[in-house]
Amino acid sequence: MSAIICSGVDKAYGSVKVIEDFNLAVADREFIVFLGPSGCGKSTLLRMIAGLEEISGGDVTIGGIRVNDLEPRERGVAMVFQNYALYPHMTIHDNIAFGLKRMKVPAAEIAERIRTVAATLGLEPYLERKPAALSGGQQQRVAIARAMIKTPEVFLFDEPLSNLDAKLRNHMRVEIARLHQSLKTTTIYVTHDQLEAMTLADRIVLMRAGAIEQVGTPAEIYGKPRTLFAAGFIGTPNMNFIDVTIAKGDGAGGNGGWVLESAGGRFTIEGARFALKPGAKAVLGIRPPDLRAVEPGSAGANLLAGTADLVEFHGNDALVSFLFGGIEIGAQVKATVCPRPGEAVCFAADEAHIHLFDKQSGLTLATD
Amino acid sequence: MKHKSTLPAVFLSPALLILAVLALVPTVFAVFISFQDRELSRPDGRFVGLDNYLALFSDRRFVNAIGVSLTWEVLTVGLTLLVALLIGILMFEYAGPRWRSALSLMFLTPVILPRVSAAFVWKFAFHPLYGIITWPYKAITGQPLDLLSDPATALGTVALVDIWQWGLFFAVIVLKLLETLPPQPFEAARLDHARTWQVYAYVAIPMLKAPLISLAFVKMVESLRAFDLIYVMTRGGPGITTETLDMYAFSQGFIESGRISYASGMAVLMMIATSIVFTVIWKRTRA
Repeated sequence: MSAIICSGVDKAYGSVKVIEDFNLAVADREFIVFLGPSGCGKSTLLRMIAGLEEISGGDVTIGGIRVNDLEPRERGVAMVFQNYALYPHMTIHDNIAFGLKRMKVPAAEIAERIRTVAATLGLEPYLERKPAALSGGQQQRVAIARAMIKTPEVFLFDEPLSNLDAKLRNHMRVEIARLHQSLKTTTIYVTHDQLEAMTLADRIVLMRAGAIEQVGTPAEIYGKPRTLFAAGFIGTPNMNFIDVTIAKGDGAGGNGGWVLESAGGRFTIEGARFALKPGAKAVLGIRPPDLRAVEPGSAGANLLAGTADLVEFHGNDALVSFLFGGIEIGAQVKATVCPRPGEAVCFAADEAHIHLFDKQSGLTLATD
Repeated sequence: MKHKSTLPAVFLSPALLILAVLALVPTVFAVFISFQDRELSRPDGRFVGLDNYLALFSDRRFVNAIGVSLTWEVLTVGLTLLVALLIGILMFEYAGPRWRSALSLMFLTPVILPRVSAAFVWKFAFHPLYGIITWPYKAITGQPLDLLSDPATALGTVALVDIWQWGLFFAVIVLKLLETLPPQPFEAARLDHARTWQVYAYVAIPMLKAPLISLAFVKMVESLRAFDLIYVMTRGGPGITTETLDMYAFSQGFIESGRISYASGMAVLMMIATSIVFTVIWKRTRA
């Protein structure tokens, strides 16, 4: 069992609090990703769990044991660093064997385990080389091997792919996913790349300014963002945001739905999914792929019309930008039917895809 | 293109000329008179071939001086580096930024002191009757402790002063070197079940191998020139137990017999030996 529980964890540098009252329970064998912009405290949190940073307040337990005052080596964790952190003067073999030697594992067993790990990660040809003679991807594989060979209770990854180029990053991401599939070790993975988070995580912990913004599966966070920040941070291309004022619909019997007044036009919705108050300021969000293209000039409700001013070609599809009520809106369309810049465009926002957030608190108005 | 190739020569030649006068002339002259039988009491001399060199090898005092010089080198270079590493690592491990600056300033002071002054200060500190270091021994046992006059301790005591000057200075350099290293390999090692001393022994010090070798070379050259320290503290005594090669050459050339050619022979041998030894060690450690 190697569940990780953080309860009320604080981190302060002098009088500056960077993390306050962080609570999280990571289940055994779970792959958790800490996601957030730089400086949100995700790496600090990881280093506190590893034992490289002191814990200013609260408790961290790993496998039911409080580790606050344990040395890093006593916590049963292994870590992969962003810049690999290999021992530059040692061969790859010695780099991987270092931990086992310190643990006084018999030499024959070390040799056997290195053979297995090197085979898994395809490192056999490089064992006698020094780290400097390897490419970035190979070095990171050595770092993973060095962490793996100790068969730790917990894997910690601190932005392991940030130093690699895009192609290699994709490749290594798949390797890490496979590795977790076969090893099933509890893993915490820190990244600022939402693609890595979405593809690897069982659950994502979205962080901002030292606090949790939302915890959930990738689908939950993408589909039901709890805050404006979560909605804006997750998803490429970014969600469109339109400031609206909420008003009661004019249908009779109080069941006439709701009207959202914006600078570019009005939206009428039933609003059953949302807790709405007349007169309140809100932000309407809709993802670019959720905008449905309709004939320009067509009549109907919830239309966003404008003139395409920028068309970004992405391959299968294209991102069309246009001004709607003074706000830049992006809509994703099939590349084959994409309009030219200067042409009139019109998109429909279906209620099912609309997100609503309170303007002031940034919290979602959805009730489900 | 032509002026490009001559310009460096124009700038270099004055400096090289001065160097040639200052370094080359005495060196060549020393080699020259080492083949003569010049003495300070006579204005002239005649060529005697290799007589001086042959005589040196049957001179037991010369052989002793070689031994003392070698011991001195090993003792001062080894201990200086050991002390530097120990203090440097302790500072890196336990001192905050403010303490580091304060300690560094403190540890730099001894090496700024001219060595003759340092030698006098320490000679007095080791004085059997008035010295502050020997005082506790005297207070407890009632006997004076004369470290500098005891053949068994004299060389070690002088070496202590040398290490006090250079070991502390190098400790500051070691601290600064450690500060330049990336912290991640240390952190990785701590997660790799390494204890604190193992982090330094297996990761930090090997990562600093190249600069540490350079430091060792600096100290080796420096230790060869410890004449002033020994001259002030023991004058080679008691007997000849602290008489290094340069001390012996000096006493042969100027103090005892004025045999300037004989002393030059020694100097030339020293020059050849150190050139060869240093070249070999340099090549070995770089390989």
